[in-house]
Amino acid sequence: MSLTYNQEFKDPKISKALVARIREKSTRPLRLMEVCGTHTMAIFRYGIRSVLPDTITLLSGPGCPVCVTAQKDIDAYVMLARRSDVILTTFGDLMKVPGSGASLAAEKAKGADVRMVYSIFDALAIAKENPNREVVFCAVGFETTTPTIAGAVLTAKAQGVDNFSIYSANKLTPPALAALMETDGVEIDGFILPGHVSVITGLDAFAPTFEKYRIPSVVTGFEPVDILKAVLKLVEQNESNAPRLVNAYTRAVADAGNPKARVIMGQVFEKADALWRGIGTIPNSGMVLRESFYKFDAARKFDLSIPDTREPTGCDCGRILMGLKRPDQCRLYKKACTPMHPVGPCMVSSEGACAAFYKYSR
Amino acid sequence: MNDNDTILLDHGAGGKVSHAMFSELILPLFDNGLLAKQDDGAVFEVPAGRMAFSTDSYTVDPIFFPGGDIGELAVNGTVNDVAMCGAAPLYISVGLIIEEGMKVFDLKRILQSMAGAAKKAGVRIVTGDTKVVPRGKVDKIFINTSGIGLLPVGVNVSGNGARPGDKVIVSGTIADHGVTILSEREGLKFDSDVKSDSAPLNHMVKAVLESGHPVHVLRDPTRGGLGTTLNEIAVQSTVGIRLFENRLPVRGPVRGICELLGFDPLYLANEGKLIAIVPGTNANKVLDIIRQDEFGKDAVIIGEVTDQDPGRVVLETLIGGTRIVDMLTGEQLPRIC
Repeated sequence: MSLTYNQEFKDPKISKALVARIREKSTRPLRLMEVCGTHTMAIFRYGIRSVLPDTITLLSGPGCPVCVTAQKDIDAYVMLARRSDVILTTFGDLMKVPGSGASLAAEKAKGADVRMVYSIFDALAIAKENPNREVVFCAVGFETTTPTIAGAVLTAKAQGVDNFSIYSANKLTPPALAALMETDGVEIDGFILPGHVSVITGLDAFAPTFEKYRIPSVVTGFEPVDILKAVLKLVEQNESNAPRLVNAYTRAVADAGNPKARVIMGQVFEKADALWRGIGTIPNSGMVLRESFYKFDAARKFDLSIPDTREPTGCDCGRILMGLKRPDQCRLYKKACTPMHPVGPCMVSSEGACAAFYKYSR
Repeated sequence: MNDNDTILLDHGAGGKVSHAMFSELILPLFDNGLLAKQDDGAVFEVPAGRMAFSTDSYTVDPIFFPGGDIGELAVNGTVNDVAMCGAAPLYISVGLIIEEGMKVFDLKRILQSMAGAAKKAGVRIVTGDTKVVPRGKVDKIFINTSGIGLLPVGVNVSGNGARPGDKVIVSGTIADHGVTILSEREGLKFDSDVKSDSAPLNHMVKAVLESGHPVHVLRDPTRGGLGTTLNEIAVQSTVGIRLFENRLPVRGPVRGICELLGFDPLYLANEGKLIAIVPGTNANKVLDIIRQDEFGKDAVIIGEVTDQDPGRVVLETLIGGTRIVDMLTGEQLPRIC
């Protein structure tokens, strides 16, 4: 398979034709939310906002896994990193996220054994190579990453890798959308639903939220043609007042998703209430290890008495993630909070709304 | 010294063992009269005029990678820095900081690469220094190189020279080196033939300057990539730079790997590419000259200098939208999903 097989989804002619149709069809102001951080980055990177008519406002939603990781969880990772018996393994974009007092990058600079990995299976390999150390993986992410994490935990159990554990801050997307719709002041006329997440969940996972709130919703991919197609569909649904839940990413997403991945996920994890940074606790939106996997649960394995944490004063990441504010409406934006000195996770994550806004649209 | 030997602290202690390493290993590879004198520095004639002087240190990990190694990089990097001043590089100094325990075989490979790179660039390594430090105090080997070159009369290139109406030329595909190093360092196994673009650019620069076409800016976009370098030029020259995404030369596999990891090729390092900013009326002719060089075959005009938004680089995207291209902030980290 060529790595650039998706060139047609970047086609300028198709993109321009889609923009023309959006302009033709759109008669009234619409607030559309891209739920996923990868969509946010693609929208900024391709300058999609700059080609859309003034009627369309794109909002960045709570779909950047780094952005919604609670400060308490980051503090737990930092505490684990400080232990001399622990090798902490993490995905790269978690490295710079500030906890209450430190980030993993800062701990690494001070001598902590923090290692960046590209897959949880690399973390498992490190555990096998270091039988006398404890290897902990910072498990962060949505439905896209959780099945692989579950797979690694199953492998660790099958192979008896007892010095391996995860600290789960894994989350589910649909409960966040429901919570969003229940929040006062939130006004959304359409959802651009996450393509990667939907590969696992399928369209069906979003059906209950759609049925309840009847918000036009389109699952789509990450190329400009994908995103513009989704915007057009959302405009059409709004203009004709006929909301639908549509799969516009059929090259990757089956309506039923990936049942095998969901089975593995369900074998290892169960739902629990979860704390979302800036938003609060959302019922049944988190994934924690089931009892039979407790020995792989770093939160149980290590004595982590995490003191009460406070989110930084003035940080509006939560309101930005809910579409209630634009990044430049946060009073810290470009002042106390910049990519060089990020205060909130939306600025530090490469897929965060504030980072994208700062990087691409000043 | 045998290839199977390892470097000991003695090799850097300045006594007989150090001397043997220099005379048996280094001197034959960097063979030239000025170095052979073994004085504390090199003494050479220079004609009246202007000189360019540059220094850089190389700490790349891994030290061997597809398309090159740290030694070749250290010579080419300084050759290119001198050349980007518009000068013809002549003499190079080399400082080696070696970790105790390094295999002589590996050191020899690196020194051979340096000798080969110097020969290709037409420069002489005329002075240097070797230190050996205890294991763990340095990561295998660090190399510092400094270079001196002469500027032809009338040549005046500088980062503050870009003017509205100029065109921006890049001498070939971008991000090859950055993606290669990243893939090797992180042990990512991509089924691709991506390799570093490490190359000397002084012959290309000489050809362009000797053609008589005016050149306002020359830069090699190394760390921080094309995006950061163009930002520096936009600020130095107080001009705007407009790039066209559909003209940016990125090899297919490089683009694919970047998409997979969430990296922007505009911010990844190059080690054998230059940016030339030249008046619009001369741009196509300069482009033709660059394309005749073995390292400039894929050169293209990627943008233009404007009087809009001084200090800022704007990219016209594939779909006709626009976005800012800012400087790189910190290190790019791979995304989570």
